[in-house]
Amino acid sequence: MMNGSTIVFYLLALQTLGGGLLSVTTRQIFRAAIYLLFSLIGIAGIYFWLQYQFIAAVQIVVYVGGIVVLIIFSIFLTQQTGELLPKQRLGRKVFSALAVFCGFALTIVQIVQHKFTQANSDLSPVTVADIGKSMLGTNDGGYALPFEVVSMLLLAALVGCIVIALRSKPETT
Amino acid sequence: MWSFSGLATGIDAWLTQRFNPALSLTIEMVLAGIAVITLFAVLGLVLVLMERKVSAWMQIRLGPNRVGPKGILQSLADTLKLLVKEGLTPNSADKLLFNFAPFLAIIVAMLLMAPIAFAKDLQLWDLNIGVLYISAVSSIMVISILIAGWSSNNKYSLMGAMRSGAQIVSYELSAGLSVLSVVVLVGSLQVSDIIKSQADGWWIFKGHIPMVVSFVTFIIAVTAETNRAPFDLAEAESELTAGFHTEYSGMKFALFFLAEYVNVFIVCAVGATLFLGGWMPFHIGHWQGFNHVMDYIPSSLWFFGKTFLLIFVIMWFRWTFPRLRIDQLLNLEWKYLLPISMVNLLVTTAMAILGWHF
Amino acid sequence: MFITKYIQEVWGAVRSLATGLRRTMYYFTHHKEIITQQYPDNRETLVLPERFKGEVIMPHDDKNEHRCTGCTACELACPNGTIKVITKFDIKPEGKKKKAIDKLVYHLELCTMCNLCVQACPSDAIKMAQTFEHSVFDRGLLTKILNNPGSKIMDGVE
Repeated sequence: MMNGSTIVFYLLALQTLGGGLLSVTTRQIFRAAIYLLFSLIGIAGIYFWLQYQFIAAVQIVVYVGGIVVLIIFSIFLTQQTGELLPKQRLGRKVFSALAVFCGFALTIVQIVQHKFTQANSDLSPVTVADIGKSMLGTNDGGYALPFEVVSMLLLAALVGCIVIALRSKPETT
Repeated sequence: MWSFSGLATGIDAWLTQRFNPALSLTIEMVLAGIAVITLFAVLGLVLVLMERKVSAWMQIRLGPNRVGPKGILQSLADTLKLLVKEGLTPNSADKLLFNFAPFLAIIVAMLLMAPIAFAKDLQLWDLNIGVLYISAVSSIMVISILIAGWSSNNKYSLMGAMRSGAQIVSYELSAGLSVLSVVVLVGSLQVSDIIKSQADGWWIFKGHIPMVVSFVTFIIAVTAETNRAPFDLAEAESELTAGFHTEYSGMKFALFFLAEYVNVFIVCAVGATLFLGGWMPFHIGHWQGFNHVMDYIPSSLWFFGKTFLLIFVIMWFRWTFPRLRIDQLLNLEWKYLLPISMVNLLVTTAMAILGWHF
Repeated sequence: MFITKYIQEVWGAVRSLATGLRRTMYYFTHHKEIITQQYPDNRETLVLPERFKGEVIMPHDDKNEHRCTGCTACELACPNGTIKVITKFDIKPEGKKKKAIDKLVYHLELCTMCNLCVQACPSDAIKMAQTFEHSVFDRGLLTKILNNPGSKIMDGVE
């Protein structure tokens, strides 16, 4: 039986998969980036559909606002408008399809083998306050250490950027 | 007191009586969509006329005064002109994306309307992450500008789009930090919680100097994010003809134009919600009589009054300051606004922990 | 020190921006400062600024005398050949020949109102008028002869 919620799910899934498919088959690199954007927005939509709003918003901030913009900028700086990408050799196509199929098979096998248990606890939506508390919690189930380790990684990346950008100026004295 | 929630529950009950739940939900969504589109049309007309009148008076001119009494039908006439104009598509443009970009811009602006509380109990979607949702969805805005700039196949458009991208990505930071300072004080991202916390006074008064500083940085950052002068490098008409919408005409141009004004309205509404108390009336401490009089003014009037005050401030900026160069723009963000708002966020956090605000 | 310089810069920026904002707010609230002329409506009462330049004219006094000596300084000064001085020779009563103008031809359609001819004139014979409704249906009407028919030079102007 199709109810409204299922229809919405299939629409979102169609958007995600269709965007991904178009993104790998188009020969215009900028269009590929935009189709990727649709695919990512579709995933965010599925998170919204699951009422997991925080992850959905983070998906949009990180992938749409960050990564797609970065991809588009690198296309702007390197490509010409309206140029088609060269056609790929058959061997490469087959190899990529094989790699994708292996990844897909692995995921499917995992899903089929996993025993899904019915959740008994009430499914009240997780609030941001809960996420924040567990993100910086030091007790059982807290993520303070991984959180800080990741921020150290980001700090190292920032320092690296500054070192690369700070080429020593020619001596002016 | 009469409130919008009564109206909403009334419509909901009437619909669920007649139709099955899925259909009545769909009808409610369509109703909300029609309401938002109507608001868009009215906002477009009012804001364009307001901009033209404000700019005229600030430049010692009269402004539109021929169409209708005192020129109030001018923007209606402009809209009619744009509706009947041909929407050209350049021959060597990426036609699919070229025609898609204005719709993306307007869809994003519509999505941003969802968590805004227009009056007491008048809010489309009071979601748990309200403020984060706004900053997340508004980051899609830049992509419509980038698509428009690239698909026009025009060097001015491309330059405008790149400038706009660099500008929006960098100013998002200080806008986010100044929003965060309010969130730190409230302890919630939900719009209704933020408004409720200002029942006894707006944050700009309760939060001492740090709140004033973050209000100022917020206004500057959102002026840059909506690509308005003095930060209008993306469409700098004296350098890039019209930037990313150089090739657009007719209704497609009008959609970009409308999206710009609606975005100005949205950021001002967010500013009014965060710093000026949304639809909360103005209360002073223990003056019961005064507070009572203020309560009689409808909450929607409070909201729209505050929002239009902020819109006026942004227009005031536009018609006073000259445009920044790209290096000045990035200097302002990375050397001044970002350090100041970071220090300010630290001070606000200390204030929230020590309970120094009222 | 670095931090005091930083604060001074921010403070200076805020103060200079506030100065600009105060000026535009003054104009926004003081509508009597508006300088727009609603031209066709206020045609009767229109007051033009003192230095408005509409066209070149040659003033004549009531004896139909002008001050032009025909020295062609204006013709030489004009950057785009708007003025053409056609001279003739008057015979003075004592029998001497004297140079004078026959016609001073002025092409309004070429004129850019740059005022160089007026500045070049040594005897103040021409000046700028404030008329501006120059539209005509025939382009030939824009070529004007500035001296009145039968006019002659004023006494004492060399």
